[in-house]
Amino acid sequence: MEFDAIVVGSGITGGLAAKELTEAGLKVLMIERGRDIRHQQDYATEMKAPWEMPFRGAGDQERYAREFPVQMLNRHFTEYTQGHFVNDAQNPYAREDGTNFNWFRSYQLGGRSLTWGRQSYRWSDYDFEANKRDGHGTDWPIRYADLAPWYDKVEEFIGVSGAKEGLKQLPDGKFQPPMALNPVERHVREVMKANWPDRCLTIGRTANLTEAKGERGVCQNRSICARGCSYGAYFSTQSSTLPAAMATGRLTVITDAVVEKLDYDPATRRVTGVRYIDRKTSTRKAATARMVFLNAGAFNSVHVLLNSASEAMPNGLGNSSGVLGTHIMDHANTLSAIALMPGFEDRTSTGNRPTGVVVARYRNMDTLDGEGHTRGYSFQGGALQSTWTAGKRDPGIGIAFKEKLQKPGMWRMVLVAFADCVPRASNRLELDRRQTDADGIPQLKIAFAFGKEERAALAQAKADAGEMLTKAGGNVIMGFDEPGAGGSAIHEMGGARMGHDPATSVLNQWSQSHDIANLFVTDGAQMSSSACQNPSLTYMALTARACDAAASMLREGNI
Amino acid sequence: METTQPQGWSRRAFLNGAALLATAVGLPLAAIRLDLFDPEEAPSERQRILLRTVSQIVIPATQTPGAGDVGAGDFVLLALAHGLEKSRTPLPDDAPQKLARFARKDKSLDQARWLESDLDSRANGDFLELPTDRQAALVAALDTEAYAEGVREHPWRTIKALILTGYYTSEPGGSRELRYELVPGAYVPDVPVTQQTRAYSSDWTAVDFG
Repeated sequence: MEFDAIVVGSGITGGLAAKELTEAGLKVLMIERGRDIRHQQDYATEMKAPWEMPFRGAGDQERYAREFPVQMLNRHFTEYTQGHFVNDAQNPYAREDGTNFNWFRSYQLGGRSLTWGRQSYRWSDYDFEANKRDGHGTDWPIRYADLAPWYDKVEEFIGVSGAKEGLKQLPDGKFQPPMALNPVERHVREVMKANWPDRCLTIGRTANLTEAKGERGVCQNRSICARGCSYGAYFSTQSSTLPAAMATGRLTVITDAVVEKLDYDPATRRVTGVRYIDRKTSTRKAATARMVFLNAGAFNSVHVLLNSASEAMPNGLGNSSGVLGTHIMDHANTLSAIALMPGFEDRTSTGNRPTGVVVARYRNMDTLDGEGHTRGYSFQGGALQSTWTAGKRDPGIGIAFKEKLQKPGMWRMVLVAFADCVPRASNRLELDRRQTDADGIPQLKIAFAFGKEERAALAQAKADAGEMLTKAGGNVIMGFDEPGAGGSAIHEMGGARMGHDPATSVLNQWSQSHDIANLFVTDGAQMSSSACQNPSLTYMALTARACDAAASMLREGNI
Repeated sequence: METTQPQGWSRRAFLNGAALLATAVGLPLAAIRLDLFDPEEAPSERQRILLRTVSQIVIPATQTPGAGDVGAGDFVLLALAHGLEKSRTPLPDDAPQKLARFARKDKSLDQARWLESDLDSRANGDFLELPTDRQAALVAALDTEAYAEGVREHPWRTIKALILTGYYTSEPGGSRELRYELVPGAYVPDVPVTQQTRAYSSDWTAVDFG
């Protein structure tokens, strides 16, 4: 069967690419390496109580240490959700000596759209101009105005709840009604505003519905999203893009199919399709199309390009610049402060709000006021009460202890910093020629380290967080300024960066290969800088924009 | 008093023995899946009774059942075997002999054997033969030592953490002692605390980070 487009990957951007391209009238094949997961039918643990689980939700840690040593470090990985994460033992990757990088992955239909944190923030021109301003990386070929209408379109489709704040550094969007701040968060917001007028704490902007949207119901405030949500209340491929794409009648989906390389015709300078391994039959197959969208996830899209080297392109497909695989990033991320918040003992909340709060970036905007760094950081977190698990830390036994644990515990406020990661050539992906995976494909090798800029940002973030929470009456009990391992923010990106110049970048302003006109990469691989906001919404806006451009090019015979 | 697992027990023998024991002492057999034990590491009958007893001391019956009543003791044994609360972390090479002598083959501490020995030592005999109030006093003393200032790690902390997990993730502990609401529907951000207010075991953020 001949397709207009092949979309590799079915996660956040793959699903959206399939939707946009099919709605543009194209016949699309979407290929997913993992298993099928059907909306509402296959969320096996969604309604389980702890007492229905063999290890009460905590999981078999001995098995996890053997089979999921990386994935088990993900805060969303539990006994309920383990089926939505890869088995590390079966899906190995290599790390350069000295690299500590946790690569969190979900290989299944829907990819990480089933397990993502759902935080959805626009980037601003502080972000799109960052590389040009301080000289790190390469200049983005687009600015906020290029992307703004595509943010509008994506937000209206996926449903983002949030509060408008009028911040230049965190532009407002097409929001559904915001979720509510609890009393402690309201208090901290007011203290911040009174003492630092340029600092704004607002409710997290999250892709959870506060108003029904088509077949999708409103969020039930369970906060167990990563199990899968039969209400369709958070954005995922299954709840949103897949039904839309299927409704066109122009989408074909293949699961359990690992794309190992793209076919390239040097005579036409076009890709002609993909080669993949059918996991169910262990056979190698091929599919052809007029263009290919790579949406396998930032690192896996780069992996496919590197593994698609040919005589015509010996350094990897679309790599005439030589920068393919380089300048990978992840937000430097750490717990800046946690404080006990006395004075609210007579208040509690009910329901499980599926988002925290965000403190928008306030450093290095119109004035360079970062200490040892030139970019931004923001905080996410929120106020929460302790419960029975606090008893693990406390002395006591018997009836009095039991009675104490029956009550909601002390309020505490948490601020976690996410700092912009400078793009560096030394942070890169390569094929490991010495080790292959179960399919015989060379493993991806990651070389990654944070630098002095990220450390300086986190040091300033720790000081700021402690100062703000103390001012709000908190008793700061802990805080860190060292970043977690690379990958900890689960915002790995870059490797096939956009840029003006084909000599120094892989993609142009349309997420299109400089070298190959019918090849697009619209997942995290395309990013030229990291900002400090969660990136998925920007990946989606770029995807929608690229799909529109690609469909036009195809119609006009330019591909 | 220490007991050791009879050598050569098959899984079937263990399960049959466990079933008989459950019948004899009223242990809630269904609280955990006993087939999840490696037969070579299956707990002894005495260990099951001991952990049930100790669990009940930590969380006694009130208007709701106690931790021993709901099978937390068996859960602790299963959890220790499967590494919950980092219970399969190897002991350091310089671990004191009082712990090292209870090392498993993988060099992790066999906390159940350690607890048996510790409590029997405190009892100057068979801990299980003591009156209930005396047992509670000895467990309280152990708890005080384990949480004394400057003490960072202690095997009792691991066991107590798992007793709490076993209790508050059981149906009686999670939904009767505390409140359990899988589908709250609404988020109400500001609610007055009253005498009747009870925490939610389904407040997952609190469970994970509280």
